[in-house]
Amino acid sequence: MWVSSSSLRERKVLVKEMTQVPEVYVLGGYQTDFARNWSKEKKHFVAMMREAVKGALAETKVEPGEIEVAHTGNFAAELYSKQGHLGAFFLEIDPAFSGLPTSRHEAACASGSLAIQAASAEIEAHRYDLACVVGVEQMKTVGAGEGGDFLGTAAWYELEAKGIEFPFPKLFGKLGDEYDKRYGLKDEHLAEISTINYANAKLNPNAQTRTWYMNYDHAMSRDEFNGTIGGRIHISDCSQVTDGAVAVLLASPEYAKKWADRNGVSLSDVPRIKGWGHNTARIRFEDKVAESANDDYVLPHVRSTVTSALKRAGIADVSGIDAIETHDCFTTSEYMAIDHFGITAPGESWKAIEEGDIALGGKIPVNPSGGLIGAGHPVGATGVRQLLDGHKQVTGQAGEYQVEGAKNVQTLNIGGSGTTSVSFVIGT
Amino acid sequence: MLSTTSAASSKSADLLASREIKHVVVLGANGAMGLGSGALFTTAVPRVTFLARTKEKADGGLAAAVKMVRSSTVAKRVDTGSYEADFDRVVAEADLIFEAVTEQLDLKQEFFDRIDAVRRPDSIVATVTSGLSINQLAAGRSDSFRKNFLGLHFFNPPNVIVGTELVAGKDTDPKLVDFIDAFCTVRLGRAMVRTADTAGFAGNRVGFKVLNECAILAEEHGPLLIDELVGPYTGRAMTPLATVDLVGWDIHRAIVDNIYELAPDEAHETLKLPQYMSELMGKGVLGRKTGGGFFGKDDGGNRIVLDPKTQKYVAKASISRPDLTFIDTISNLHRVGRYEEGMKAFAAATGPYAAIAHKVIAGYISYSFHRVGEVTDDISGIDRIMGFGFNWAPPSVLVDTIGLKATIQMIEKAGLPVPPALANAQEGTKFFDDPQVNVGKFFVAA
Repeated sequence: MWVSSSSLRERKVLVKEMTQVPEVYVLGGYQTDFARNWSKEKKHFVAMMREAVKGALAETKVEPGEIEVAHTGNFAAELYSKQGHLGAFFLEIDPAFSGLPTSRHEAACASGSLAIQAASAEIEAHRYDLACVVGVEQMKTVGAGEGGDFLGTAAWYELEAKGIEFPFPKLFGKLGDEYDKRYGLKDEHLAEISTINYANAKLNPNAQTRTWYMNYDHAMSRDEFNGTIGGRIHISDCSQVTDGAVAVLLASPEYAKKWADRNGVSLSDVPRIKGWGHNTARIRFEDKVAESANDDYVLPHVRSTVTSALKRAGIADVSGIDAIETHDCFTTSEYMAIDHFGITAPGESWKAIEEGDIALGGKIPVNPSGGLIGAGHPVGATGVRQLLDGHKQVTGQAGEYQVEGAKNVQTLNIGGSGTTSVSFVIGT
Repeated sequence: MLSTTSAASSKSADLLASREIKHVVVLGANGAMGLGSGALFTTAVPRVTFLARTKEKADGGLAAAVKMVRSSTVAKRVDTGSYEADFDRVVAEADLIFEAVTEQLDLKQEFFDRIDAVRRPDSIVATVTSGLSINQLAAGRSDSFRKNFLGLHFFNPPNVIVGTELVAGKDTDPKLVDFIDAFCTVRLGRAMVRTADTAGFAGNRVGFKVLNECAILAEEHGPLLIDELVGPYTGRAMTPLATVDLVGWDIHRAIVDNIYELAPDEAHETLKLPQYMSELMGKGVLGRKTGGGFFGKDDGGNRIVLDPKTQKYVAKASISRPDLTFIDTISNLHRVGRYEEGMKAFAAATGPYAAIAHKVIAGYISYSFHRVGEVTDDISGIDRIMGFGFNWAPPSVLVDTIGLKATIQMIEKAGLPVPPALANAQEGTKFFDDPQVNVGKFFVAA
């Protein structure tokens, strides 16, 4: 017998209270243009890593020789590019990286956040003062069907994906079905989530869909241009197949102080990772749902990730957060995130959608960047992209998708069908 | 690729509020440019009317536009009609009349006569012409027509290529130009470039100079070799002569003849259409639309290549590749993202083949910088249209990537004039000024 989900969560609360979060500073970073197709450019993914890392170094005015450790987040280069050992590719970026300690981290779509977690832990443990984290995924090396099959390995492949066309849209369709069963769910609300993400993406110069056509009417259309991919999930409900890399530099207080001094900024204006949450649920979707049958939340471990990040940040609840970058691999995942963040009571995400709370300019903008649906979803890069967008928001550098006066931004990055969840609170 | 340098400022909100475009009429809505532009307007304007010679043709244009936008919802905003039955009524209602009929002066003038007779005095008239003079097209029209008339040159296909040229005539209201710039940038997601009313405007002037020079060089060296020498590794997605085949030889001829006649400049001879192309066009060779141009396929589906000297085709497989190791080296550097090393290796490459490639690329850079002040106010306009209209590495990106000194040496060695902007610059000057553009995307590995 498995222990009940509620007792699992209680154990995590104890861990949480014993944890002090030392300071990890985010100096800045760089995102490649997610509209690019690197296979059409005939490039190896190392070109993408290189542009992201070089861009991050230029953006932060840090010399490559200053980097002490490097972490790569990547889901499935073995499948997409028949290449493993991605940490080692750092040494192909700059000769100054010769000898650098590197590693690669994988937890499906949460791989990027796991790389950030590892780098943060090393900084907190005083092993290193300055880490470079890059999230990278080159997905357009294969066609949609084959890519969909590769993504199926983020689920329990043999039980949930093998021989199934586009397994993930179907799994997240089931998430919608579970909401429908417990609380009711309308397509209109999912269409509105899609509309908002695409609209925000038009303001983001790195967003994959920034020139694409989308509005509520199209998201609600059901003909061949917006066909079903799996149950209630239509094309407009899906995130994109994306090539992209994002790099961020994380620093200890000691390095951050030096860095702030030499750049003429106050340390208190350099954003920090104020809190983090990280949980894992059983990999099979039906097991997760069975465990949460008596819970208010459909994915209680996701809820726990969100609340533990807030608690570590010393923020009482989501009202202390100014914007959210969440994991909208499908509209149903964002629908789930809305109540799991506590924006509404469980099952009432539709209220925040109808009130306009999650739109840019609303009470709590969700995915001002456009999220995975609008900005794109290069799987291993997404968690890093979310943190970088949080950094842009809290430093007032998000351009046209800036949330006015944002001080604290929270991310939520999810691997699999709600399996591995990681959340960060970034703020100044 | 959306560049924000043009109009995406707080000013643009005021500009956008200064007028309204609620209804666009597209003339020539069954042609590639008409339906492509129409498709774009349907995504941002409440009502779009597709007009063609017959309603059936306009309906066909709409069906193709729906496929381009990939949403049948836009059809709800579109009505279709014919010039005979609907022209006067819908043109009188329109806020913007967008002319995309065949690229013939007399034909366009006929349409402008009809428009001038029925349009509202405050409506905007735009032409998608890629080469005809805006002032010539406006000549003799009413005051309100000339004031509200401009060139809006989308590149084909407009749903994919965002680079767009905006050309004012001498009587065009400057406020209208500002408004259209903001409207196209914000509402249509365009990368706008303002150009003078000169032959070929900015993009075709520079682009077709390069393409025609490649066609000239192909006579001696063959199309296959030239396309490899000036290939993706020099900063473009599609090779030059394959581009001419795609565009169509007749279009190529119209553009270069126009520039050759109206804009004699320091590179005049490179804009003269090669004789062999004229002769082959006489035999019906127009590029991809006639089944082949520089490149094609034989009846067995095997790739064939034109030999301009004999005007006959030979099997691609029969053409041997000379030693082009320098291209392989550069391509391999691009593949792993080492673009600067790649382009520095390009500038340093030696031998007769490298010299041909240097001549074309140095010519592109020199010619572009020499057009500043003539076709655009600054190099960033030419950069933007080459980057977002042609998908070529903009000239400034090449200078930055190759290095200033090496670029100047390459231009001098090719016997071409060094632009003052380069000659007077300090080493280390960055010429490309749009931080939102990933310049690496222009360097394609072979």
